[in-house]
Amino acid sequence: MWSEEFVENTHYPTSGAYSYQGHGQNFDYEAHTGDPRQDLEYERQYQPQSYIVPEVIKSFIVYFHKVITEQNLYEIQNSYENGFNKLTDRFFKTSPWPDVENIAPIVNHDHLFTILYKELYFRHIYARVSSGPTLDQRFESYYNYCNLFNYILNAEGPVQLELPNQWLWDIIDEFIYQFQSFSIYRSKVQKKTDDELDILKKNPKIWNVHSVLNVLHSLVEKSSINRQLEVYTRGGDPQSVAGEFGQHSLYKMLGYFSLIGLLRLHCLLGDYYQGLKVLENIDFNKKNMYSRVPACQITTFYYVGFSYMMMRRYQDAIRSFSNILLYIQRTKQMFQNRTSLYDQISKMNEKMYTLLAICLVLHPMRIDESVHSQLREKFADKMLRMQKGERDEFQQCFSFCCPKFLSPVPPNYDSASIATYSKEPFALQLRVFLDEVNQQLLLPTIRSYLKLYTTLDLHKLANFMDTDEDELQTYLMCFKHKMKNVVWTKGTSGLTGEFQSASEVDFYIEKDMIHIADTKVARRYGDFFIRQIHKLDEIVKGLKVTAS
Amino acid sequence: MAEAMRATVGALLKGIDRYNPENLGTLERYVEMQLRENTYDLEANLAVLKLYQFNPTHFQSNVAAQILAKALTNLPHTDFTLCKCLINSEKHDVSPILDVMKVADLLEMCHFRELWARLNENPNLTMGVIGFEDSVRKFVCHVVSATYQTIPFVTLMELLGNVSESQVKQWITKYGWSIQPDGCVFITNQEENIKTKNITEKITFDSVAGIMAAAR
Repeated sequence: MWSEEFVENTHYPTSGAYSYQGHGQNFDYEAHTGDPRQDLEYERQYQPQSYIVPEVIKSFIVYFHKVITEQNLYEIQNSYENGFNKLTDRFFKTSPWPDVENIAPIVNHDHLFTILYKELYFRHIYARVSSGPTLDQRFESYYNYCNLFNYILNAEGPVQLELPNQWLWDIIDEFIYQFQSFSIYRSKVQKKTDDELDILKKNPKIWNVHSVLNVLHSLVEKSSINRQLEVYTRGGDPQSVAGEFGQHSLYKMLGYFSLIGLLRLHCLLGDYYQGLKVLENIDFNKKNMYSRVPACQITTFYYVGFSYMMMRRYQDAIRSFSNILLYIQRTKQMFQNRTSLYDQISKMNEKMYTLLAICLVLHPMRIDESVHSQLREKFADKMLRMQKGERDEFQQCFSFCCPKFLSPVPPNYDSASIATYSKEPFALQLRVFLDEVNQQLLLPTIRSYLKLYTTLDLHKLANFMDTDEDELQTYLMCFKHKMKNVVWTKGTSGLTGEFQSASEVDFYIEKDMIHIADTKVARRYGDFFIRQIHKLDEIVKGLKVTAS
Repeated sequence: MAEAMRATVGALLKGIDRYNPENLGTLERYVEMQLRENTYDLEANLAVLKLYQFNPTHFQSNVAAQILAKALTNLPHTDFTLCKCLINSEKHDVSPILDVMKVADLLEMCHFRELWARLNENPNLTMGVIGFEDSVRKFVCHVVSATYQTIPFVTLMELLGNVSESQVKQWITKYGWSIQPDGCVFITNQEENIKTKNITEKITFDSVAGIMAAAR
């Protein structure tokens, strides 16, 4: 689950087929609240009758347990991606899966399996249950992650466990998502009851930013993933430096995904430098063995691109976005039958097109033809408004496509400024972005004049711009400064690069004259014909099959 | 001294320890040292701002403003933006951070004449950063060398903050520019780098060989 928001609060009638046992920890704040909806919830949860797990669920659990114990990777993946989701759609569309207390006896109280089950159980509550997780569910889920990571990290030797890469990615991704969700929940102080605030105040360690960072750093350390990547980039064998733990797929992949997790976490906190720094050893220009989980690829490029945009490295941002958008365009069909993944990818796709639109307004340049035509189709209006300097449009686009920024610390629950507290992290990043936009606001106008000429008198352009020549030269210097960006050229570190100006229109001043260099692009036909050839090929093949 | 410190601090910032608030004192002293000795360490300074973000009660406006001013000395790099993204926006509107923000705006928009006027009025705007003015001049030279083929001597002098004629000449020598007989400064032959590009599609045989083989 890597989408940024909860599933919408649609209220389906809850099936009355079974009721719920109380959760492990009963906090005393869960008394009657006077709020009818909450009280109903309360009663539903604490009905004393016991719950009988339906046969079909039972046999699924037994099978799932069996294939995990036997380490049958193919069947684990099948149960994880198909079995669980199918049963969810049939029985638990908007209600939780059975409590672990009911599942444990079925699997002989297998410690590891119950942890993994709970991971899925809580993830499903976050994604599907319309009332969302309660405070104690958030806490319990946190403890469950602690148990899982302790099991993996504190073992004497490597844990003999393998899980599908997709699942491992989902674990890291969900861990950060739940941290994000908790931080947002925590920051909305006004909506909390006194009891809830009391619980929050008494438990500052739960979903604490240090714990989250600690887990991710520990996984990175344990797997020696950075050394592995270094050796891999140099063409060596990563296994030779992987160490006892890192040789195992479980540790290696968790290590790799933790790097991406750190990228995301740093971005959510507005620390773009650290975000790119943790990826220092990953070579994105080389097909890598770690990149087979599409959701991970997309997340990586989204945050990398976003960081570049905020660092005013537009060319690198544009390159990141157009690469991944092209990748999505080509692979999207593969996910069509996996609805939730497909929805998430579509949403990211929209966000990244918006980001690309912003970057191209600020730094016009040529991009891949097929991405460009999509962009023209969907974002022409928005781009036009931004080019005209409409700040509102910039703001709207940014709000739509930015990550859900977080505050790493709990609010001061008693302070007076809490009203704006939950919005501060977003407000800060928006402000930084708009400050930059403001500084550049005149540039599109200048560019549009320059485009019309090959040489232009300073005096004449000053007239057009309704200003004097000194002021105009200031604008022109600003134009040059803003269009000269650091661009990555070589090596694995995304932070390094050299200054280049590759934007469409360039110029220099000689005495009183501006000399302009434009970029003229002839239409490209190659891609079009290649696609048509492939299409024809498929049709012919299809005809042959029907004919025979 | 700063070099030795750079190594010590570098070790301090490895791994999870960079979030240890106990390091804050050392790091703040290191900022002070950078100010005095005209050295610069972005990573250490970002770590300070990060610790402020994680421990808001430790926040010190003065140190944050100094870090921001230091970041400006590294223009045209965008260090300033990176630092800004870590400082609570309420603080942006209060001196001394507000003052640095204004300086940054002028620099980013290349309003050099106005900037020098402000700095003359209020020398405290540099937040005590030694060598701040010269780093601005370095940035001016960067922008000028990108923008001009020739620039009038007087204009250059103004942009550099009305320094003496001999100082302007020093900057000219430093960047390998030359003074022409007409009194203009020749920067570089921009014609060679900045010219209209015509991009036409080039299809190599290799790139279509596969298709041609398949479609036989």
